[in-house]
Amino acid sequence: MLPNTEVRVPRPRMAQSAPRDITAEFTKAASKLNTGQLVKDETFTLFEAVGALEIMDSKMDSGYIAPGENLAQALEDDYDVRRPLTPEEVVGLMDQLLCHEVAWHKGHPLSQTLFTSIYLDKLLWPVPRTMEDARFDRVPSDSPLVSLVLRAYCLALVKACDLVHVRVATEYYYEEEDFVSQLYNRNLLSAFSISQFHHLLDQAVTWVSEQTDIDQKLKDAIHCRLVFRHEFLSALDQDIEVLETRSTANFSSCITQLQPLTETVALGKPVPEAFSLKIQRKLASTVPPRPMVNVNSNDALAHLKRLCQDAIDMQQMLDYTGPSNFKTAVWTLLSRKPQPSIYIRCLLQALIVSNMTILGVVPVKELLSDELAELVLPANILLEANTDEVEVPSDPRFQIAQKMDGFMKRFAQPFVDTVRCACLNRCRIRRTVCHTLIDWDNLQMEAEEIDLELRTLSGEPPLQFQGGEPTWSFPLSSWAYHQKLSQFRLILQMGFELSIYSPEELPGMYWYLSHICSTHLGHIDRIRTFTVAARKRDLMSTGDRSGNSSQKASAFHRSFHALERLTTHIIAVDAFAIALHALYVVLSRHKVLPFASSPQAYSTDRLRYEIRMKPFIPITLPELVPYDEYQREAALEGDSDTTILERASKAIAEARKAWEATLANGAFIDDPSGPSQPPPSAIEEDWKRDVKNTMRACIGTSLAIEAVKKALSATSSHGGKPLNLEVIVPEVGSKSRWHDWWVVPQVTEKKSKA
Amino acid sequence: MSNASDLRYVRYEKSRENEYVAAMRQLISKDLSEPYSIYVYRYFLYQWGDLCFLAMDDKDEMVGVVVSKLEPHRDGPLRGYIAMLAVREEYRGRGIATKLVRMAIDAMIERDADEIVLETEITNTGAMKLYERLGFLRSKQLHRYYLNGNSAYRLVLYLKEGVGAIRTGLVDPYSLPPSVPGLPDARGEHSHANMGSLV
Repeated sequence: MLPNTEVRVPRPRMAQSAPRDITAEFTKAASKLNTGQLVKDETFTLFEAVGALEIMDSKMDSGYIAPGENLAQALEDDYDVRRPLTPEEVVGLMDQLLCHEVAWHKGHPLSQTLFTSIYLDKLLWPVPRTMEDARFDRVPSDSPLVSLVLRAYCLALVKACDLVHVRVATEYYYEEEDFVSQLYNRNLLSAFSISQFHHLLDQAVTWVSEQTDIDQKLKDAIHCRLVFRHEFLSALDQDIEVLETRSTANFSSCITQLQPLTETVALGKPVPEAFSLKIQRKLASTVPPRPMVNVNSNDALAHLKRLCQDAIDMQQMLDYTGPSNFKTAVWTLLSRKPQPSIYIRCLLQALIVSNMTILGVVPVKELLSDELAELVLPANILLEANTDEVEVPSDPRFQIAQKMDGFMKRFAQPFVDTVRCACLNRCRIRRTVCHTLIDWDNLQMEAEEIDLELRTLSGEPPLQFQGGEPTWSFPLSSWAYHQKLSQFRLILQMGFELSIYSPEELPGMYWYLSHICSTHLGHIDRIRTFTVAARKRDLMSTGDRSGNSSQKASAFHRSFHALERLTTHIIAVDAFAIALHALYVVLSRHKVLPFASSPQAYSTDRLRYEIRMKPFIPITLPELVPYDEYQREAALEGDSDTTILERASKAIAEARKAWEATLANGAFIDDPSGPSQPPPSAIEEDWKRDVKNTMRACIGTSLAIEAVKKALSATSSHGGKPLNLEVIVPEVGSKSRWHDWWVVPQVTEKKSKA
Repeated sequence: MSNASDLRYVRYEKSRENEYVAAMRQLISKDLSEPYSIYVYRYFLYQWGDLCFLAMDDKDEMVGVVVSKLEPHRDGPLRGYIAMLAVREEYRGRGIATKLVRMAIDAMIERDADEIVLETEITNTGAMKLYERLGFLRSKQLHRYYLNGNSAYRLVLYLKEGVGAIRTGLVDPYSLPPSVPGLPDARGEHSHANMGSLV
């Protein structure tokens, strides 16, 4: 289905000229056209056609007044914002507003959420110049519950929206997918300072506490809602200053207030007549009328609680302890389910990198330098050469430093983008990596050029393998290739997460995943070989300069350790992929694997392979596996079922061991200089849960393999009848899908038809 | 209930615009979640009326429709696009939609299409099954693609070998500065990215 869209791009206004009535001319010209005849500019696109509104159609034209409809009635509601409210109604209204606020956080436009509130409409239009102006009516209500309590709540809510809006709109997000930034010419009280809102809330809290004629339960209910507003405002106001304050106090007390708030929702009495879609008619917008969005209280409160908890847990990634830990923490936090809200994701973007600085303290270049030291260049002259120390331009070290500086400048941004990418919505992560993969293919080639130049300057001695050609380390392009292979893996795995693959593609996709993993493992081996050689050279040459040696030793140790962890992890992925590949091949051979396409399909396996490989076609390295080779390999042609299932059993056993080792290695590399054993963090717990879910999926796979083996032996003793198996491919989110990235088939014996 | 044999499948005719378009709009607006202006229909029918097919019952009432287009995609492959597909509820499950889509695909093949794409709501399993049976693959998921907040799948069918290798203008996801607060995204960036297949 064709999408409609709310981004209706306003046309740039032409220079102001005097308006002229063209009705007659227009009617005359139009009368010469036949119905259905299209008058269209060459450049008029479908996008513009979809954005077109039909004037005088009530479904499209939000300003349309039906015949007989009274203009005033069509635009204005009878609702009296000065009317006294019962405490129950105040609680109900506060909660209705909160639900609308969350709906907006979740990506719905203000026009369908908060801006349906008559109270907010009165507060914000005309745009108030002073806080005093921001009120429901020129003559305030006689009821302080309205003029003081509800007003303070509403104002603080609007200010909270202002802070969220500013943060989201300054970061990278997708309009409409993640958030609708449209304010319809209203202002979210951005000019007023937090203290003014706090002051009003305090007044309201005091007033409520002094009342004797309000039931205590209701007083408490109103109280916790006001306090929540107070704390939420402070928490949002902290924003990126959290890097300095390191305070979770406000978000924590938000969660504290959400408890009694949740318990007292039932006390409230909703006031539906205080919300109206008629307001949409007045909002400066070119959108057709859209229904009010209803988020229920439970969902809204759960959303807010998660937002606060994510903000609190975010603290645990603010201390920089090396690139690997940084990347793991960011990815793990942002992979939470449900995915952290757009506010959190935007706040994280700002924390991850602002002004080319990571977490407010580490220059991006330093992050890149640490990453290179960790993976390819431990204690290496390429990273240590410094133009400050060597000032003679003819000195190779000066030239190395210059070349490396150029490399850093070129690669820092793309590198930090690979980390920052985790802040996008899940669909966009995969799509973005599909694009950046091509960039990294080019970056690798650029890095290769730099490697060649640096090799001459550093005088790196080549290695010779089995009497072959001399081979050099190519550290920078090796690192770029490592990045690229990680991105390949991510694209494939996100494909499973986003349910992109049809069941018949599963054998092939797991084959491809293992193919990428084994390529990656080979590449890491290559890197390791050169690091070992460098270490040997280093030990032989630096026997005399002992001052440096322990530092160098620990640099090499760190690098070997990092490579080892990486290897273990990729082996775990590889082995699991091999096992699932083998299992699916057998299921597919025996035609018990469900198929999405039919024999009457328009496409062939070859054409479908081409679609699937589209992101990889332009990539020079690793080369795309040609279809015929893929077909042979992925179908395990020539191998018997028994051989394949043995292969599956072996692989899944290896996978379980490797995942256990990965779990034992932990989420983070301990900093030997840091405090001993920091307490396990929530992010670490998330990471562990993820690995454990993978291990559960391994066990599920073992069981499936056994079930297939059993069914096979049963058929072979019964003369080659079809396998008596039922295979279900569990959907993402279903109970039997232990992990989004691992599609483990549920294999059960088919019940005989009674 | 009439038999499948009572159904007639016809190509859209410009001369019968008045009766067809009204019936089409009624069918589609009942079925799909998106409201379309008359302009959207005109956009397709005026330019690609011959890629629109209708199913009529024995009383000559419209019970099914498919609307599509065909044009080069970003100076790359000749891309067919199935924009709308609807079948009246009581007529579903009889292969009408499949037949209509096949007619549209056949017409596109006749006109040398390289590939065909479309989007479908993630929750619309019926449509997804239909297209996947015909050989379409999901190429990506589109987050909150529709006005109702639902996500979509992009479905793709290649009709020739080598289509995936045809170069098109690429979009650099990080090349644009962030949107200006308070203003609708004047570059229409999101929508263009989303509607890459449409524009």
